[in-house]
Amino acid sequence: MTVFTCEDTFEAMMTCVYDAWASRLGHDNLRLQLEPVWQQGLFCDYVHVDADFAKAAKVVRAIQRKISYEAYRQVFLATMSFEPDRLDAVYRFLVLGFASGRKLTQMLSRPEVVWIFELSRKANTEANYFREFTRFSQVGSVYVAHIEPKCNVTAISAAHFADRMPSEYWMLIDDNRRLAAVHPKNQAFYMTRLTQEELEQLRRTEEEEDLYTDLWREFFESIAIEARRNSQCQRSNMPIWYRKHATEFR
Amino acid sequence: MEIRPELTLQEKLHILADAAKYDVACTSSGADRRGREGYLGNSVAAGICHSFAADGRCISLLKILLTNHCIYDCKYCLNRASNDTLRTAFTPREVCELTVEFYKRNYIEGLFLSSGVWKNPAYTMERICETLYLLRSEYRFNGYIHVKAIPGAPDELLAAAGYLADRMSVNLELPTGESLRKLAPNKTHKAILRPMRMVSDTIAEHRLAIGKSAQMERSGSTRRLGGGIFSEAGRQIEERAARSRPDDVGLLREGQTPARGVFSGESRPDDGFPRTGILKKTWTEGHESSDSARRGLRSQDGGRESFVLPAELRRRDLQRPFVPAGQSTQMIIGATPETDYHLLKTTQHLYQTYDLKRVFFSAYVPLNEDSALPALGTPPPLLREHRLYQADWLLRFYGFHADELLSEERPDFNELLDPKCDWALRHLELFPVEINTADYGMILRVPGIGPKSALRIIQSRRHGKLDFPHLKKMGVVLKRAHYFITCSGRMMYATPIEERYIARQLIGTNEKENWQIRHRNEGVFRQMSLFEDFQMNFYG
Repeated sequence: MTVFTCEDTFEAMMTCVYDAWASRLGHDNLRLQLEPVWQQGLFCDYVHVDADFAKAAKVVRAIQRKISYEAYRQVFLATMSFEPDRLDAVYRFLVLGFASGRKLTQMLSRPEVVWIFELSRKANTEANYFREFTRFSQVGSVYVAHIEPKCNVTAISAAHFADRMPSEYWMLIDDNRRLAAVHPKNQAFYMTRLTQEELEQLRRTEEEEDLYTDLWREFFESIAIEARRNSQCQRSNMPIWYRKHATEFR
Repeated sequence: MEIRPELTLQEKLHILADAAKYDVACTSSGADRRGREGYLGNSVAAGICHSFAADGRCISLLKILLTNHCIYDCKYCLNRASNDTLRTAFTPREVCELTVEFYKRNYIEGLFLSSGVWKNPAYTMERICETLYLLRSEYRFNGYIHVKAIPGAPDELLAAAGYLADRMSVNLELPTGESLRKLAPNKTHKAILRPMRMVSDTIAEHRLAIGKSAQMERSGSTRRLGGGIFSEAGRQIEERAARSRPDDVGLLREGQTPARGVFSGESRPDDGFPRTGILKKTWTEGHESSDSARRGLRSQDGGRESFVLPAELRRRDLQRPFVPAGQSTQMIIGATPETDYHLLKTTQHLYQTYDLKRVFFSAYVPLNEDSALPALGTPPPLLREHRLYQADWLLRFYGFHADELLSEERPDFNELLDPKCDWALRHLELFPVEINTADYGMILRVPGIGPKSALRIIQSRRHGKLDFPHLKKMGVVLKRAHYFITCSGRMMYATPIEERYIARQLIGTNEKENWQIRHRNEGVFRQMSLFEDFQMNFYG
């Protein structure tokens, strides 16, 4: 058994798929795994794969052309989930996909398809939640938001905010992955890694209070109807762990 | 009561948000609009909720009243003229600042602007239009706006609001004329339905003019079904029924008012492109009657000139679609003696005749002491509201008709079972359904299967036989569905297709949910009662 390993970025994962496929070892004789590899198997060879933009682009193009755009969307979302085995799941999905073509995403009686369907749905749901529950605070003319998602949804949510606030300076920071989406006014946003010091400095922006944070809390309190109080419904709609950075619950 | 200008913005927000919270509609859905450089905001068709208040309701829009001054005296309303409350009003600029600043911080998806009737309907609507115009033009706001149409306001103002907003709503308040007369002496159904008709006709005409169908788009499931309430066939069934029983309950009568859209009749442009010039002509020359009404209005409020008429809207404003997210309305339940059947028939009628996007139900929360109303402290009928919403979904997404769910003989929903389970139990002759061969419409009628899982079923069964574990992965709620389906001829467990047995099982499944809905406002513990809590008088 040969195990192809790579780091946790979309490009590296796609390159890993490319190299594993091109190795011609046979799909049953290889496995794909994300780094870091904590415990090595006794009878396995480990091959590290570095991200290669050209190879990744080839894989992406092949998925879009030979399977479907929907399959690409699901693969992308699945790689953003936090399932440790997601890379191998993607590989099995693609093995089936390149054999069966366009109908792949509808074949929900196949376990490979269901697995990716579930992972992508999970990541998509979380991305939608962070579109809703992200709160920006104003620091000078820049709006800064902190999130701590389980799936890696920063880029997906940032695409939504880029459409929503095209003419503002803003920043969306994933505190756990130290990953930030930075959006300059009237330009496309870009992703960047933050150092520990930068993150510490940016963490303080969350304590920024102004007139509108108070007004928002006031509104939040006033809008609830006491006779219908239902904290269970509130909890199931907005689970507690999402509230960590929400202004009205702080 | 005078305006108290010394109130701070925070106090005003407290008063006017508190006064607006009994309006239930708070969705930001229905309009899909990309953001634009230089502007703030976009709109997502599915809608986005930004937070959930302590009552579990979503906060999507900044829901406020422009003012809580009101000349009307509706008995159920917190802001009625005879209540001694502190009255105040936002200035248009305050509303704009709040909206834009909240929006940038991602607190809200847009503005929900309602208002008490201040001086008269025309004056109120004019203030609303002024606010929306300022927000769209000077503040360059491109997000979602839901605005209340004030019945009795001139057509021009309603049209101007329609071009600036995404959704408009007129509250029907109560489903029958008698109830409305009793509880809201200043309102009549005729006056409420006229703007509703005008807005829905103008939406239809606008949609035709830009090359869409006259009717609003409905969900994919409704289009795939073919027999639901929105289909042509569905509408005809209802029309025939209405003709054969002219005094049918639940059907609203508009009276003889030939209410029309702004473009209708002679002023309809031939080239199909309603643009500034034509609108100018229509609004300034075509409507002498309301024009004179407006002149009267000007003399009343001292000749203010900051008036926003459609003819003065910029070209860009007129290129905006007219009320792209459609119209909605709401009804109060539990304050008057109407049955669920009546409410549901009215709802269906509103969907079919006015092409409404949503009908909302609001469980009555007693706020005022009045002999015509339930006493203070009466718990709001939350379970009933819940059942009505479930039935509303069945109408809009599942192809059911009101008459299938309820009838004159059974006018109220079963408290123990949701309407879909209840329907299935009364039609056991249609079950079990074979998942691998049944048509979409029938699969959709199985309790525990929704539009999404039904679509997944019919798509994936082409590529291989489905079994119960597959259904579970697709999102089918098997604990409800397994009594009604077979996979390749086998049921999941050996269960009899027998009404009393399945009812008992399903009630057990539903019991916990129902109890939570009914008792969610009560204290934590109370004495258990075997007969009440466990519903010893079982179904059937």
